[in-house]
Amino acid sequence: MTCTELRRTQAYLDGETADADAIEQHVHACGECSELRDQILSLRSDIREQAQYYRADSRLRSRIRLGLDGEAPQSPRNSWLSRAFWAGTASGTLATTCAVLLALVLFLPPQADRLTNDILSAHLRSLMPGHLVDVASGNHHTVKPWFAGRADVSPPVAEFTREGYVLIGGRADIVDGRRAAVTIYRHGAHVINVFAWPADDKSLPGIVSRNGYHFVFWKSGNVAFCAVSDTALDELLGLTRLLKAMATPDSRE
Amino acid sequence: MPHLDAAYNLARWLSRSATDADDIVQEAMLRAFRAFDGFRGGDVKPWLLTIVRNCHLTALGARRRRSFVPLPESGDVASDALVAREDDPETVAIGVDQARKLGHAIAQLPDEFREVLVLREMEDMSYRDIASVIGAPIGTVMSRLARARAALKEKWLTDVEGGCRDLH
Repeated sequence: MTCTELRRTQAYLDGETADADAIEQHVHACGECSELRDQILSLRSDIREQAQYYRADSRLRSRIRLGLDGEAPQSPRNSWLSRAFWAGTASGTLATTCAVLLALVLFLPPQADRLTNDILSAHLRSLMPGHLVDVASGNHHTVKPWFAGRADVSPPVAEFTREGYVLIGGRADIVDGRRAAVTIYRHGAHVINVFAWPADDKSLPGIVSRNGYHFVFWKSGNVAFCAVSDTALDELLGLTRLLKAMATPDSRE
Repeated sequence: MPHLDAAYNLARWLSRSATDADDIVQEAMLRAFRAFDGFRGGDVKPWLLTIVRNCHLTALGARRRRSFVPLPESGDVASDALVAREDDPETVAIGVDQARKLGHAIAQLPDEFREVLVLREMEDMSYRDIASVIGAPIGTVMSRLARARAALKEKWLTDVEGGCRDLH
């Protein structure tokens, strides 16, 4: 009775699978796997929205700092490192530069989370009056060339009018500090933004739901994608399936 | 301080006690600081969280040897969540109640389930990184995660239904 693909379905939802297409199709067709998908996604949003994320308070921070101050430096290098690392004094030394860079990288929220936040903000901003499209066109021959010189990637763009996804235009945006190409589709009353930017070797979050929006991340070649919308997840996955079925896009990098 | 919140969140969910989490994180940061010279690069977060987990296990072992294992501090888990929400009082009450129940359900999961769930769903870590933190193969991470989710779902549904029954 138990479906043999449950494990792969779980891995897919955790953003761990390369061959997402086949699994999506399977999940679509398999009752057990769709049930697992709904379960995982609803637990995930419950945990992220409701379960307490405990943060270190200032009392603990100063206690730790005090403890570390008591550490005898073992070598001049170590003492440099520690002073620069914790105090971050801007004296222009190599150690300070390293420490500041390290701190910049490390203080930021988790990469995957930051990415989702970035895209959520960009999506919400795009829904404000006058922010949705830079180039309004239902023709991919107009939209795709428009990205040249405005974004770091050239993503696949197509009309899926027959399938119910109407191309309404393109926009340049910033994701993860890169110039992203955004293709905008309308599906019924919902707007779907498809972000595309140069991928790095970090893993993407997979499928995430936040604030009532669904995010579907995937990678194709060296381009990272995220489709985001408030439409039902299945409808969003319908579009991502169509996009994935198109030829591998080329990165300009 | 690098990944201090992640370290604290993990310590807090593992130990289920604010006091113990403080001690665990302080010890872990100290160990990490001493070992930082020997750190061979790569991602700092799994490395630091591995140290946090080891410190937790050491502290747990020490407590067990003294045969004193504290129960989770009552009302501790998630009770201070959602304080600043500006919804109407009823929604706040329901929200706090739900958060408390979910926190309680997570806290009651067996340790080996709780840790993979926290690392995956709160820290958004990959299977590979989780495997390196808990020192187990990726297959084990996957099966524990599946069992953790099933157990949490069951636990939580029971709690919520139990809560509804209380109303009648």
